[in-house]
Amino acid sequence: LEINTLAILPLIAKPHHPRSIEAATKYFLTQAAASALILFSSMTNAWHTGQWDITQLTCPTSCLILTTAIAMKLGLVPFHFWFPEVLQGCSLTTGLLLSTVMKLPPITLLYMTSQSLNHTPMVIMAILSAALGGWMGLNQTQTRKILAFSSVSHLGWMSIILIYSPKLAMLNFYLYVLITAAVFLTLNSIKTLNLSTLMTTWAKTPALSAMLMLTLLSLAGLPPLTGFLPKWLIIQELTKQDMAPAAVIMALLSLLSLFFYLRLAYCATITLPP
Amino acid sequence: MALAVMLLNSASFHAGCCRHKVLLSLRGPLLANSKLYSSYRRPGAEPAKKLSWQNADFSFKKGIDHLKTQLSLLKKETQDYLKGPSGHQISQHLLEQTKVLWQFRSQEDLNKWIISSDVEIGGKSKVYIKLGRNNQAALLYGTLNTEAPRDGETKYSGYCSMRSRPAVGSFNRKKYYDWSNFNTLYLRVRGDGRPWMVNIYTDPYFSHQKDDLYSYFMFTRGGPYWEEIKIPFSKFFLSSRGRVQDNQHPIWLDKTLGFTIGDKINGPFQLEIDFIGLLNDRAHREEFAYEAYDKN
Repeated sequence: LEINTLAILPLIAKPHHPRSIEAATKYFLTQAAASALILFSSMTNAWHTGQWDITQLTCPTSCLILTTAIAMKLGLVPFHFWFPEVLQGCSLTTGLLLSTVMKLPPITLLYMTSQSLNHTPMVIMAILSAALGGWMGLNQTQTRKILAFSSVSHLGWMSIILIYSPKLAMLNFYLYVLITAAVFLTLNSIKTLNLSTLMTTWAKTPALSAMLMLTLLSLAGLPPLTGFLPKWLIIQELTKQDMAPAAVIMALLSLLSLFFYLRLAYCATITLPP
Repeated sequence: MALAVMLLNSASFHAGCCRHKVLLSLRGPLLANSKLYSSYRRPGAEPAKKLSWQNADFSFKKGIDHLKTQLSLLKKETQDYLKGPSGHQISQHLLEQTKVLWQFRSQEDLNKWIISSDVEIGGKSKVYIKLGRNNQAALLYGTLNTEAPRDGETKYSGYCSMRSRPAVGSFNRKKYYDWSNFNTLYLRVRGDGRPWMVNIYTDPYFSHQKDDLYSYFMFTRGGPYWEEIKIPFSKFFLSSRGRVQDNQHPIWLDKTLGFTIGDKINGPFQLEIDFIGLLNDRAHREEFAYEAYDKN
């Protein structure tokens, strides 16, 4: 985790612009605090139970601290404030790395420790992430911030099912990584940083913008596309686990993010700018 | 080089406390809070008669009124958020190519700007602003005097400036302008042939960068005809406390705050401004006018 964090910092700060330095600082501070909390949780567990292995936490305080620490690492609500600003301050390629690769170690840790995570905070954070990721992404015009909020809401989906079926969370994560990588790389090749620039891409690369539309709708989770699969399985698993209201709320909240994905797809493909 | 000489002569932000003093004057009557930097009080600054904590007003009714205004501002902000980015429809944001930021048609528009001169540091320039004929423009006029104040510290003097007030939202939070759709600053002015310096302040995250400004020059013709001056944002260079920096980078436009005009030569001056706006000049392809690669 630490090697990952330290390695990505120079990448974020590479353009020596105050905004990039700001992003790197914010990233470093939150990740360092979260790492310290992870160590702290395993330390308190060792103090209370003598067990140093982080995958076998039994002390409730340690479990809670670990849950919050990984939420900070990932960017789950209410620890999501750094994420859009950091993504806005770095280039699109670095943003890709931050959203996909940098999420892998914390998700792996979550997968390994899924049995010792607190249920209630996790579910609350997941629902809030889906809500806030959708709600705050609505009025954004910078593409990087939109993708940051989409990441937050997808993480909400991943974390709600983590306790019941970690494999589904991993499936969601892998598919999310694939689709998000496609979106980031597309945006990188057409060099769009805000919505107005996105509107002129149909003239430059019509095929690419058509694919971008499909990829964005897949991120939104529309049925014939791949992105629907994890959502469907998660809702099914949640109803099996007797959490039907949570499933309904998550499904409704994903409509908010559908709105801004549709807006992105609309700008990229469906409209003709003057 | 000539650029540095002009900058040093203008000395518009030579004393870093000036801008803070002006900004503080928005908050309260206390102008001379030079304790922020040093205990030396500049000749033009008023003596600190009342300490800032003695200025606090504990009137209950005023507090309730203030709370009511802030809550109504918050309500308006929420409604704007529901409409779209910065209160307008998204279609407006996507399609706009020009935008008028400040237009001078009434006293209210004039109140959005603060004028200041080197009187703050003890100089002798005078500057005034008023509405022009038929309320169609703002007239910024006065006399510039480059005689430096005799305090042993200041070498250069002689500046007058007009700064826009930073936008505040509800509960005095900072509001940013998002100029990322545009790439040119567009001013309709009628000057008297003198050069002006246009500064843009972007809100920095680090306090080390609180003095850095992006500046460029505006050369006016003296004629009776109005001029439309376009300054692309790629031409703005970075300076900090008046000194041009070595490492330049292009201005990022998603967090701008204010706008300053400053002047340089001894004598009377006059500038009429009709409006200040933004333009998205699609023919302007330059990204940044200065070298940005690593030297040595």
